[in-house]
Amino acid sequence: MDYYIGLAQIIGIHTLLGLSAYAVLLTGQVSLAQAGFFAIGAYVGGMLTVLAGWHVLSGMIVAGLVAGVVATLVGFPALRVKGLMLVVATTAFGEAVRLFFFNFNYRIRRGDVLIGPSGGEGFRQIRFFQENGWSTIEMALFIWAIVILVLATLWWLDRSRAGTVWRAVGEDELAAQSAGVSITAVKVSAMGLGGVIAGLGGALYAHNTTHIEHAQFGVVLATFAIAYPILGGLTSVLGTLAAVVFIQGFLVEGLRFLGDWRNLLFGALIVLAMNLRPNGLLDASAVAALRRGLSFRRKGAAHARA
Amino acid sequence: MQAGIIDFLQSLADGVLFGTTYAIIGIGFTLIFGVMHKLNLSFAAASIGGAYLSLALLAVWRAPSLVLLATSAAGGAALGVLVFLSCFRFIRADNALAPLMATVGMLLLIDEAIAHLTAGVPLRYPALFPDVMLDVGPMMVRSDLLFVFAIGCVATSLLMWLLYRTRVGIATRAVAQRPVAAALCGIGIGRVNATTFALAGALGGVAGALTGTAVGVLSPLLTLPITVKGLIVTVIGGLGSIPGAILAGLLVGGFENIIQHFRGVSERDLHVMLLLFAFLVFRPGGLFAPPAGRD
Repeated sequence: MDYYIGLAQIIGIHTLLGLSAYAVLLTGQVSLAQAGFFAIGAYVGGMLTVLAGWHVLSGMIVAGLVAGVVATLVGFPALRVKGLMLVVATTAFGEAVRLFFFNFNYRIRRGDVLIGPSGGEGFRQIRFFQENGWSTIEMALFIWAIVILVLATLWWLDRSRAGTVWRAVGEDELAAQSAGVSITAVKVSAMGLGGVIAGLGGALYAHNTTHIEHAQFGVVLATFAIAYPILGGLTSVLGTLAAVVFIQGFLVEGLRFLGDWRNLLFGALIVLAMNLRPNGLLDASAVAALRRGLSFRRKGAAHARA
Repeated sequence: MQAGIIDFLQSLADGVLFGTTYAIIGIGFTLIFGVMHKLNLSFAAASIGGAYLSLALLAVWRAPSLVLLATSAAGGAALGVLVFLSCFRFIRADNALAPLMATVGMLLLIDEAIAHLTAGVPLRYPALFPDVMLDVGPMMVRSDLLFVFAIGCVATSLLMWLLYRTRVGIATRAVAQRPVAAALCGIGIGRVNATTFALAGALGGVAGALTGTAVGVLSPLLTLPITVKGLIVTVIGGLGSIPGAILAGLLVGGFENIIQHFRGVSERDLHVMLLLFAFLVFRPGGLFAPPAGRD
């Protein structure tokens, strides 16, 4: 049972990572910096609870805000470049953050041990959950409460005017600009929101694994971040969730019995999925079909009652 | 003081020569981007894959250096075409995200295939060239790096000749400039794209073999750093510019070796990223920016 609860925690955290990339992708920007914001959230959140003795919730909120501010600051120069240049610029930013933490040393003495981030060794003993006696199921519920909050916010945003404007910029920047949309405001706010979500996810990740180090936040994690929304489709936030369940639940955990062959299949299945469903697993037609199915059932129920 | 200058020049020379491999990888990215306006993230993995195929040949026959290089190039070309077929050919041209993601899948697939076949152990790559030290005044130049540089120059010149002096090259450049107009002139876009992937892949295979011989070992762990460096070189050089990629490759190679010498290996890549940011802020188009008005 603990295994499945642990899996639920991982899926929740990766969903946050994927949603942070989703927010940015809606405006048509491919950002590989999400792992960097995730790392900032992880380190800031961990330092606040371990070194400053904060509660995890307040530490997490501040971690999200810090990551959001950094992301906003990155958003401005990133506006100057598009397409491939943006991919490279954000990759470089993410790597720069990782390398910063690789060289980052800030340890204080507590009792007879040194605690805090220590360069290449990483940051150990982020044990807020364990020290305060949270059970795994409570941790999972906490993580999923945050995930559902973020999902609901993005869902609501998508149906509001702001979401429409974001999508307009993503579809055709020039047309949106001609219609009076401020590209700067849209892109920077999307970047900032993505940063906040990644920061929240990072802080949760740090407390969930209790040990973080620079190598966990490399290009691979950044690629996973954009893989979730692209694989899931940008039609709905549920696409990202579906893709995380597909990758983490099925490809990573479900195929574990294949042993070594699993990793081979992993890449091949991504290639196959993109060829068969280039707009994502939950693309517009799939969402429409789902909606039709649901309304049909509801209508059927109404008929039965009548 | 005197020793400091010599150290500086020495690491600059070593770095610039090793930068040849970055330059070639950068050319590969730039070439594919120039023709298709899409990013192929599995390019460096395919290059290393090509070098591994030449190792496979070495297992059955002690082939001479040039044959190894040629095998590596052929392997790179074959993998390039495979990438084209699996990630670009059957996805609509107006979809930018799907091929990008598919090439990531291909990157993982190639990496994992290598790790699976070699049981995860890095393999020794033979020295393709005699290992002599040449004394140039107070400095020493590693002759194998000099060979790497020379082979890089030959491969690049060959590519330039192909692009600017042959019918295939004209067709490639036509597709790069105006795909629709090129199609209307009777140029098969799919075939030209496949050719470009084969060409870039062959070049990548050469780069993979050169990296293997310069580093001494081959490992799938090499692919991600090379991918990142290649992308940086592409952007610093200016998208779609082959001379830019060459210059940027040598620049990045020299720069990172100097930083490594003076600041240590753990800070090396951090400064390379800072160099890239400096370019993005002050010269976003790169060294040889294409004329304005075109994407």
